[in-house]
Amino acid sequence: MTMKQVKSYFLILLFSATIFSCSDDDTPINTDKDSGENPEDPSEVESRYIVAATPNALEGVADYLLALESLNSGEISLVGNGVEQDGTYRYYIKNNNKFFSLLYGQGNPGAVTTYQLNATGKLDMISDFQAETVQSFTNMDDEILMTKISRNSTNPFASWYRLDTKTSQLIGEGQINTQEIIDNDELAFFTWMTQVGDRVYAPFMSVKACCNDSFGTNYPDQAWIAVYSYPEMELQTIIEDDRTSFIGRYFTSGLGVVESGDIYAFSSSVATNNGEANSIKPSAITRIKAGEEVFDDSYFFNLEEASNGYYMTQQTYIGNGAFLLNMSPVATKGAYTTGKRLAIVNVYDKSLIWVEGLPAESAIKNITGQNNYVEDDIVHIGVTTEAGSYIYQIDATNAKATKGIEVQGGTITAISKLEIEN
Amino acid sequence: MNKRYLLTICFSLISIWFIPMLAQEKSIQIYGKITDQNGVPVSGATFSIAGKTTGVISDNKGVYYLKTNLTGSQKINVSFIGYKTYTETISLEEAKSYELDIVLEKGYNLSEVMIIGKNKIQEIEALAYNVDVIDATKLKNSTLDVAHALDRASGIRMRESGGVGSRMSLSMNGFRGNQVKIFIDGIPMDNFGSAFQLNNIPINLAERIEIYKGVVPVGLGADALGGAINIVTNTYEKDRLDLSYSYGSFNTHRTNVEMTKIFKNDIVVNINAFQNYSDNDYKVNVDVADVNTGAYSRNQEVRRFHDQYHNETFIGNLGVINKPYADRLLFGITLGQVYNEIQTAQRLVRVFGQRHSKSNIIMPTLKYQKKDLFVKGFDASINANYNLGKEQVIDTVNRRYDWYGNYKELGNGNPGGEQSFTYSKFQNNNGLVNASFDYKIDEYQKLSLSNVFTSFDRKQENLLDPEENNYNQPRKSFKNVLGLGYQIEQKDWSATVFVKNYNQVNNFIQSYRESGSNDLIEIERHNRINNFGGGIAGTYFIEDNIQLKASYEKSYRLPTGNELFGDGNITLEGNTNLKPESSHNYNFGIAYSFMLRYDHRFRIDGTLFYRDAKDFIRPGFNTHQVLQTMENLKDVTNLGGELQINYTYKNLLAGVNLTYENLRNNTKYVKGTESLVYRDRIPNIPYFYGNGNLTYNFSNIMNTGNQLSLGYNLLYVHAFYLFWPSYGTANTKHGIPEQWSHDFTATYMMDHFSFTLEIRNILDKNLYDNFSLQKPGRSFTGKIRYTF
Repeated sequence: MTMKQVKSYFLILLFSATIFSCSDDDTPINTDKDSGENPEDPSEVESRYIVAATPNALEGVADYLLALESLNSGEISLVGNGVEQDGTYRYYIKNNNKFFSLLYGQGNPGAVTTYQLNATGKLDMISDFQAETVQSFTNMDDEILMTKISRNSTNPFASWYRLDTKTSQLIGEGQINTQEIIDNDELAFFTWMTQVGDRVYAPFMSVKACCNDSFGTNYPDQAWIAVYSYPEMELQTIIEDDRTSFIGRYFTSGLGVVESGDIYAFSSSVATNNGEANSIKPSAITRIKAGEEVFDDSYFFNLEEASNGYYMTQQTYIGNGAFLLNMSPVATKGAYTTGKRLAIVNVYDKSLIWVEGLPAESAIKNITGQNNYVEDDIVHIGVTTEAGSYIYQIDATNAKATKGIEVQGGTITAISKLEIEN
Repeated sequence: MNKRYLLTICFSLISIWFIPMLAQEKSIQIYGKITDQNGVPVSGATFSIAGKTTGVISDNKGVYYLKTNLTGSQKINVSFIGYKTYTETISLEEAKSYELDIVLEKGYNLSEVMIIGKNKIQEIEALAYNVDVIDATKLKNSTLDVAHALDRASGIRMRESGGVGSRMSLSMNGFRGNQVKIFIDGIPMDNFGSAFQLNNIPINLAERIEIYKGVVPVGLGADALGGAINIVTNTYEKDRLDLSYSYGSFNTHRTNVEMTKIFKNDIVVNINAFQNYSDNDYKVNVDVADVNTGAYSRNQEVRRFHDQYHNETFIGNLGVINKPYADRLLFGITLGQVYNEIQTAQRLVRVFGQRHSKSNIIMPTLKYQKKDLFVKGFDASINANYNLGKEQVIDTVNRRYDWYGNYKELGNGNPGGEQSFTYSKFQNNNGLVNASFDYKIDEYQKLSLSNVFTSFDRKQENLLDPEENNYNQPRKSFKNVLGLGYQIEQKDWSATVFVKNYNQVNNFIQSYRESGSNDLIEIERHNRINNFGGGIAGTYFIEDNIQLKASYEKSYRLPTGNELFGDGNITLEGNTNLKPESSHNYNFGIAYSFMLRYDHRFRIDGTLFYRDAKDFIRPGFNTHQVLQTMENLKDVTNLGGELQINYTYKNLLAGVNLTYENLRNNTKYVKGTESLVYRDRIPNIPYFYGNGNLTYNFSNIMNTGNQLSLGYNLLYVHAFYLFWPSYGTANTKHGIPEQWSHDFTATYMMDHFSFTLEIRNILDKNLYDNFSLQKPGRSFTGKIRYTF
């Protein structure tokens, strides 16, 4: 071999070595790696908590579902754990012991994926099907009613879909002209829908649906609830009130039905026009008595007064008149804020007690608002601070919060519970 | 479009040009062997007839073969690097053959000649920049568009969402989309709209494609974060005609016409016209959703039925050459249109049957070039263009389709769309003026100054709601990139340093109607960006055949009009608070060429690179999660390498290139909390990939002088994850599996004609660049090309 040849072989070797001596640490080939979820014998516990978490990362993000035996202590990491879903921006609802994951997909199909617990306590995807991207979904007995709502005055129709939770298929659909619901030049935009008896109560806000200010309104000081029959979805009546701004808010439930059948309506008072808050009404709770189709004039619970300057952003019903409210200072009002201070409110005696034992309001980066899990006067909520993400247990009887399991690497977006299917 | 009609036009066009040519077959043949004084064959020497640009190159045995129609006394030249040019006058007679053996004498200092004797491609590759050049002349018989040609280069991945004309994005060393700037003849292409883009420009338009990785010369004055691609078009300054037509699977037609005519007084006319048409009706495997229940039928093989794409483009230039005031002064216009049916959303399961887009380009252009303007050594080049093109998205049919093409009407006759009720039109009114000046201080030193000014003036129209137009006030953006560079070239080394200034001013007016009033209120918003970047590059030849290169640039990319102002609320909402993206780019490379046993030639190029980028502009959702909006998101590092080996032996050419990119997330804190994917591999980006190619040329088939070339191309992409690699249970993860794709090409070349057969994806594998978006299976294409 000549010197030149030796040199050339050497150079080839050198290049190959320097460039390709990289480890193949993350090849997407499935290995039989243990999912790492709580390893105890599954037969002892007949249910699992389902925790949805979204990674603490920017871009390339999918949401993960964890099936956990207990939420009260310990830690679990998203690294190597959790069922990976196809993308983020997912919303969850439980029905018929199934966990439904709805994709809010811009440009993607509004896919719905259904999960169940198998005999070993792990989540199995049992079905997925194509739906639409919707802005409201609610349980109607064994069905889920999903509604896609127009924000565009050129196309003023809301489409609703009935999902049969036994077969995971759509079994009906229809449209509602949202221009015709209110007698003004704006559209009705349902904030959420709630089952009340065998009917659907759909509070809405009035929106301009045009003019670079889709969600702005010139009618900020009025509350409406449209009442529909089910499953026909025919408009029965509209219940109105001018003591508050609209009930609920975008993508947020503003109704709670208590044991007696009375309905409590929550207004955040976050109407805007061109980005500026424009309602003069306070954040408050009003009531519709069971069986009646008017607001109860005798009931008004001014939350801003009771909390000394806070408004409510989301509500979770616990039982016996007690609600957990996410609260935020009126001075920094926002239409999409999630309140970082929690209060237990009893609508019967109009009491408000601040929850103790949570990190300071300023330290909280993220907190769950709607997808909390309630069992026996305890509410499980997800809280993220600089120190990490934890599930807290809030005892409604004394408004005390206790720190539970740490979920490493992600922000908790929903908490639920399923029974093991045998 | 009517297929038969199109075919007829193409064939009649081609035959019109053919017939006169066929009559001329009375050519003279000259052949022989070129050796040095020791009788060793000289390969690569040029044999030509003086005054004619067509020459031939001697093969590995020193043999050359030339056909000509010239008769009478002709002067021939034979030249090669390191040898004295040989000249002889010979007398030629019609239809005769001449054997002429030539002995070349050694001459000149070799290292000097190295510089002089290089062709344009070698000259560019010898620069200090980390640059690759694709010789497009070798690909002209293929049916590739520019994007697919780039896909075969090292360090580049072109990812597309489907067949001809589908959405595509280019990545270079881990930088994607707008982070890599595309130029055509030094003019930034980002303002050209979708009617004139890489995925519809045929390779025939290009002479060569220069790929600058990480560090971009001052002459290409623009804000490129991670590199630039410059498509250099043919600038024949002699009469020329190049016609080609191809037809292939999925009813794909492509036609290309290129013509240059030089009249007396050096007036030149240059026309380039091309057309692509495809039904893209290839089969895909997909879960088919029922239009009523939404339930999926799993893994059905269905044909795409709403994916027609066609574009027609005309580029004309008229001007003068070789005048005292201008080497070239051309006035031109680019006209083009695109019709594009949209078959799916971002996942294959969601299918559309009517949604489509249209766009056009109407762009007057000016090109001016002059060497030695006013003083010797001072070269000037000025380009200007203005694009009046429009983009439209049309989604006005209120139906839901399934993959079999069945649909159901929605909304009881009420208006609506398949994805969202849309009929919008917008126009960006992009203007550009680009001036660059070079001044040679002396034989070794050069100063370069370059300035690119671009303007953007968005006008948009919602055709469904004319009232809305009152609120769509003009949005304007002005961008200026100024660069100053100094270059020194010595015998065995050269170096360049440069600084660039990036300046951007954005203005837009937001208007709304005040409560209870009909008056429009206008708020004017501004923002301004001013940044300085710069870089340095150097190269050193250890020996004639070993070159070292090192380069560095602190680069910036300014946000584009769409990123700042959105796309008219179709999928993207504007964000006027965007900051520029920035990066520190480092390259180190070695190139080594050698010969084994006299006729096995090797060239090896190795590059190591490191990128440290900040404030990547990436899409996120707006507050309602209805539209995407661009945000300055994350920091990323990328340490990687590229290896290219090329081998030639007689008529055999083989090459391999491999790229590895270790892109790591460098964002430690997200919204105040420490990220567990800090230093994890960036998902959804191919990080290990390569190409292999093999070509064999049969020259002089059965002594006809015709040539047959057989080529094979292999593409490999390693599997990669869609979402963060470390998260989730392994068996639930989403990703794109390993991809291997094999292409085959055969070209038969006669005098003025060539015939090509191409088979892509020979094994009919399911190929994906993006999760779930399946690309075409096996396809066959035939191409016929005529050049004169």
